[in-house]
Amino acid sequence: MKTRATIVMYHGRLAREWKAKTRARCPCYKMEFVVEHSYLIPLLPLLGAIIAGLFGAKVLKQRSHWPIWLGVGASAVMAIVLLVGMLTHNTDHKTLYFFSHWFTWINAGDASTGIFNVSAGAFLDPLTAVMLTVVCGIGFLITVFSKGYMHGEAGYFRFFAYLGLFIFAMCMLVMGDNLIVLYLGWEGVGLCSYLLIGYYYDKPAAREAAKKAFIVNRIGDLGFAIGILLTFYCFGTVSFFGDMGANPGFLQKIAEMSMVGPDRLEFWIPFFLMIGAFGKSAQFPLYVWLPDAMEGPTPVSALIHAATMVTAGVYMIVRLSALFVGNEAAMITIAIVGAFTALWAGLIALRQTDLKKVFAYSTVSQLGFMFVGVAVLSPVAAVFHLITHAFFKALLFLSSGVVMHATGGELDMRKMSGLKKLLPKTRILMLIGCLALSGFPLLAGFWSKDEIVHAASTKSLLLYGVLLFTAVLTAYYTFRLYFRVFEGPEVIPQSHHAGHDKHDDHQHADHQHDDHQHADHQHADHQHADHGHHNHGHHNHEPMSMMLPLFVLAIGALLAGIINLPFAAGIKEHSLGHFLSQSPSFVLGLQQVEKTYPAGLSETDHLGFGHAPTGEQAFDIVPLIIGGAAAIVGIFIAYLLHLKNRPKADELAGKVGFIATAIDAKFWVDEIYNAIIIAPLRAIGGLLWAIDRYVVDLLVFLVGFIPQLTGYIVKRTTQRGYLQGYALSMLLGLVVILLWVFV
Amino acid sequence: MPEIFTNIALQHYLIVGGLMFAIGMIGFMTRRNLIVMFLSSELMFQGAAINFVAFGAYWGKMSGQSFVIFILAIAAAEAALALAIIVLLFRQKHTVDSQAFRELRG
Repeated sequence: MKTRATIVMYHGRLAREWKAKTRARCPCYKMEFVVEHSYLIPLLPLLGAIIAGLFGAKVLKQRSHWPIWLGVGASAVMAIVLLVGMLTHNTDHKTLYFFSHWFTWINAGDASTGIFNVSAGAFLDPLTAVMLTVVCGIGFLITVFSKGYMHGEAGYFRFFAYLGLFIFAMCMLVMGDNLIVLYLGWEGVGLCSYLLIGYYYDKPAAREAAKKAFIVNRIGDLGFAIGILLTFYCFGTVSFFGDMGANPGFLQKIAEMSMVGPDRLEFWIPFFLMIGAFGKSAQFPLYVWLPDAMEGPTPVSALIHAATMVTAGVYMIVRLSALFVGNEAAMITIAIVGAFTALWAGLIALRQTDLKKVFAYSTVSQLGFMFVGVAVLSPVAAVFHLITHAFFKALLFLSSGVVMHATGGELDMRKMSGLKKLLPKTRILMLIGCLALSGFPLLAGFWSKDEIVHAASTKSLLLYGVLLFTAVLTAYYTFRLYFRVFEGPEVIPQSHHAGHDKHDDHQHADHQHDDHQHADHQHADHQHADHGHHNHGHHNHEPMSMMLPLFVLAIGALLAGIINLPFAAGIKEHSLGHFLSQSPSFVLGLQQVEKTYPAGLSETDHLGFGHAPTGEQAFDIVPLIIGGAAAIVGIFIAYLLHLKNRPKADELAGKVGFIATAIDAKFWVDEIYNAIIIAPLRAIGGLLWAIDRYVVDLLVFLVGFIPQLTGYIVKRTTQRGYLQGYALSMLLGLVVILLWVFV
Repeated sequence: MPEIFTNIALQHYLIVGGLMFAIGMIGFMTRRNLIVMFLSSELMFQGAAINFVAFGAYWGKMSGQSFVIFILAIAAAEAALALAIIVLLFRQKHTVDSQAFRELRG
């Protein structure tokens, strides 16, 4: 691939200065390399995936993780270099971005029909840098974890090939500078999600879950596709920012337009785009696929269905915030859907008994928080929560993966208790993750969740109340899980050797490993003849290769909050908000907000786009105290009901029987969908089948039957086998010819 | 030479040839014995041959006569083949009745 990167800076003078500076300053020089060779970031994981996919089955076998480790690791290093370079690259200018053009992908149409031009390239701004670091960094940690977790699986190479493909698609998604490349990555991650949910394709539940995820996402993606088409129809371009000059992208065009009302087509674009976001990010009513997606291997749940892919919808709205924030109706819709989903999923999570299901509903709920963050004009808070959530949710999922590993695939928290002796390290890690998720003061989730809740409180008290209540629920269900699984009397599920039935991600893992070893040492000399040390009793449940990534994630879950502390202006200079405010998306978004609400913006609105408040603003500690109190209340209730007096929980649930039943049935959403969508669709399908079978096929068979019948009649009347008959026919034929000729 | 022999015109030959052809054809249609049917087909052959010779003599050209030599040679070869086939058929069903051989009927 011959690519010449073109680096476009806001001002030519600045570019020259910057280049001169980069020669002297090391980190920036390295960043220049990353910008010039940005294509390597998606390409390396893709190459790794191709190598693992092609050679994994026969050559690499249990070494298939190497190409992915190297590819994703290199991408992670590049992403971090880019991030550090951008952070240290202080300009006085408002925007900071690089555009690296790889090649023109699509170039269609002419001046009369409108030019449809799609360039493949990297748009590198603070938002992309942050997303790339999360995707590649956490992606790398999870691939490291997977080596231990997936060890001995039959489809080992397949798993890693899909994982590499996923990182490739996700990088394309966050690096694209136009909707088409974004959509390419969007569908790519959807495909990888489908493939990885259905990784255990011999398990019917996994197949069903994969199909469900794919189909539900198609519904959202239809909306997204319509949104893209409308965007091109209205603006004549799909590029976000164009070349920042003579050819503006649609975000600049919308920022220059006056207010658009419902009579204009532009007004409806955000609504279609948000359907796509709701599908991908599992918001009501399209959230149903995410809990089922837990059928996939646990590292996949951590990477795709918690940390990265499901946040793509939030990323998309933040990236296109100029298109969204000016549209009050759209923002209210997003706020309602986000808050409702947060509450809804939080309620369902209260009574789930499967560890991964609890975290799945929790993910849906937290994604709802992020959407509310965007909707209350605080994209910084949304991205902040996205980052912290990626850390602690990946940590929680991987920790529950360790629990599964130790208990032979058991995930039902009713069947286990007090695992702190069996898994001492995991217990600490899980505790950190749970504290972070529940928003316990000073941990990562506390700061990010509070920022969203605080931003919401300035817009609507109802929104504030719902989010605060959900925060209590979050703390409660998180610690219900923690207290049930790790505290209390020790109960270790006895399914280690036999009866790997459901949710057994690493079925036969150890045994296949044994077979493999035996097969090997039949070929080798007999120095390993006494190979029989595989004693499950003394098996180390917390191998270092699985623990190391967890430690890194735990540090993130503990400390990720410091990137955007709500303190004084001095610290703000280096905060995530300030960094993100240099992104063109945020600049245009704020412009759009200022235009839409000319009556005056509150200080939080400026903060929401990462800008330091214009006036002096006293640091307000009250919302922080309220947020922390919500977490502590939730944890305390969980302590009372699930550690101190466990029977009391069931007793209480019995008192509100109907509510408990409704929550247990997940509010019958799947059943309702089944009744109002799936069953009618099946009925229509059956009807169409009948029409095809009995009307269309009948005509087709009839057409085929006529020549058959004719042939049969001719055959039976002429081909009778009598020699004289044939002679007679010849004679008659002769007579006819003679009559023809002579008469 | 009586007059009746010297006054033989072309049409007389043609009538004889046509009669032979017709007799052969009727024989072929009506008889079932393969050998007789074969014999009838030879008769049709010779009827046609007479036509050739008659026209050759009438036009004073040798081409008709020479054609007949070929016809006779082919008829001889065909007779050898046909009789051999009839022998083989007879070996199969111990009959030479054409109605017995209907394997190729539709």
